[in-house]
Amino acid sequence: MHPILSFRGRLGPYLAAWVPLGGLLAGLLRIAGASWAEAAAIAFPMAVLYGFICLAAWYPCKSASPQRIPFLRVITTQAVAAALSAILWLFLVDTWVVLLDQFPVFASATSRFSRLVPVILAVGVVLYALVAALHYLLMAFEEARQAERTALELELLAREAELRSLRAQIDPHFLFNALNSISSLVGSDPGAARAMCLKLAEFLRDSLRVGSSPSIPLAEELALAEKYLAVEKARFGGRLQVEHDMSAEAGSCAVPPLVLQPLVENAVRHGVASLVDGGVIRIAARRTGDQLRVTVENPFDPEGPVRQGEGVGLANVRGRLAVAFGEDASVAARREGGTFRVELAWPARPAVMA
Amino acid sequence: MGEATRQPPLRVAIVDDEEPARSLLRELLAHADGVEIVAECANGFEAVRAVNDLALDLLFLDVQMPGLSGFDVLELVDRDVAVIFVTAYDTHAVHAFEVYAVDYLLKPFSAERLAEALARTRRRLGRPQPALTDALATAQPVQARLTRLLVREGPSVFVIPIAKLDVVEARDDYLCLRAEGREYRKQETLAKLEARLDPARFVRVHRSFIVNVARILRVERYAKDSHLAVLADGRKVPVSRAGFARLRTLMRGS
Repeated sequence: MHPILSFRGRLGPYLAAWVPLGGLLAGLLRIAGASWAEAAAIAFPMAVLYGFICLAAWYPCKSASPQRIPFLRVITTQAVAAALSAILWLFLVDTWVVLLDQFPVFASATSRFSRLVPVILAVGVVLYALVAALHYLLMAFEEARQAERTALELELLAREAELRSLRAQIDPHFLFNALNSISSLVGSDPGAARAMCLKLAEFLRDSLRVGSSPSIPLAEELALAEKYLAVEKARFGGRLQVEHDMSAEAGSCAVPPLVLQPLVENAVRHGVASLVDGGVIRIAARRTGDQLRVTVENPFDPEGPVRQGEGVGLANVRGRLAVAFGEDASVAARREGGTFRVELAWPARPAVMA
Repeated sequence: MGEATRQPPLRVAIVDDEEPARSLLRELLAHADGVEIVAECANGFEAVRAVNDLALDLLFLDVQMPGLSGFDVLELVDRDVAVIFVTAYDTHAVHAFEVYAVDYLLKPFSAERLAEALARTRRRLGRPQPALTDALATAQPVQARLTRLLVREGPSVFVIPIAKLDVVEARDDYLCLRAEGREYRKQETLAKLEARLDPARFVRVHRSFIVNVARILRVERYAKDSHLAVLADGRKVPVSRAGFARLRTLMRGS
């Protein structure tokens, strides 16, 4: 994008700046013996014309950026461009003067003008240098603005991705089903309905809160899972049972927030919910050496209908651990008979409390 | 409610694996006129039995249930019954209307919405309905490849994982499925079943036979242009000329 032509309102001031320069040139011509009228007739068109010619400085400025190519080459490129611009200018102005010479008022203007040729060339080079500097300045300004915009866009993208991942972590159908249970309890057991509203609110509030921090202690993550399971228990009753086994030192290790949520959700949706008599979800966490190991295990119906969405949650967990720990994290999922087990392992790091 | 025309009450069954979901429907239906709840089922197996044993007019049917899904239930019943699906998932709606569901309630729903569904059911029951089995037949192609077969014999329902299926034989107007040394009857055509089986594992070896390739021990020549496939359990299945060609291409391919 041309830093002057591409912006409305820049070309006018730029060309206006050349008018006083025309005055200066007129003075030069006057010294060379031209009348005021002749000097003005030559100098002002001359100045504005050069203003236009110098707009082409953008091309060498763009290709010869001092950030990208050696300084010496920038100088030579610009020197050649300056010389060419000045010569072109001189040629065009000379043509204009020859034309004027046809009028009796401006008779023998050519001879007076030719005395100024070296001066005009010198002025042309200096003016070109000034305009090139202006282009560099405007381009740098534009680049800074662009960088700022890119940074903002990136931030927006990151936030969107975060929201998307949060959405992926909490299944909206869980909410619909929970609301349906509450709707049911309102009629039969208002006290239980109120308790369930509170549990649901607690889970949602906590998941929103931890979702914004980069990592939380495993103990907190498990407490969150427990709140989720408490809501699900209202739906499934005795069919859903949960067992925890977490060592204290494992509990203080850092985990990406809500990383277990998709696994626990799957354990309910594709596991316990697929069995007529339900079953037990087992969550265990151990620290062995410098590794943290978390296991989520659930029974499932190997002969049940294939349900949609299997694998999405697991992929989500895999992706998040890969982002956080790179190749140091491992996710292994296994089916053994009627049991589905996911084993996670990543380097144990103490959680930093916010 | 004034002088509503007296109709016999709708005989209704509620099918949902979640107790709160059932009790919500029970409570809301208790306030509705002309509805009699004759059964509550906590899974698809109970639902199949209820539809076949009790003369039901209407089924409130959850989709995702342990063992048998709501759609599986409809595949297993041969009695005409109006169906209102009740689920938290809007993704099943298209499939639901393909099996001529009267309505599709999204959890949570209001009493007004339920009343609307009941009104719709009453309007629908007055008119002749397309047979459910025909509807299911047209709905099948949408479904993915079969992973299991559902068979009902009298009051009991059998779920046969596809890997355990040995042979399918077409008889008069039904199919005879053999799996784990047992035989099951299923109301279906061989062509329709074949279309939904994995062609890499099941081959139509004969006009009336589909065989699980993994069960074939060897193929014997029987007469000119005809063979016999000997299965792992010692039984023999006729193989036609075209069937033999299909078997050969499959064996070479793998």
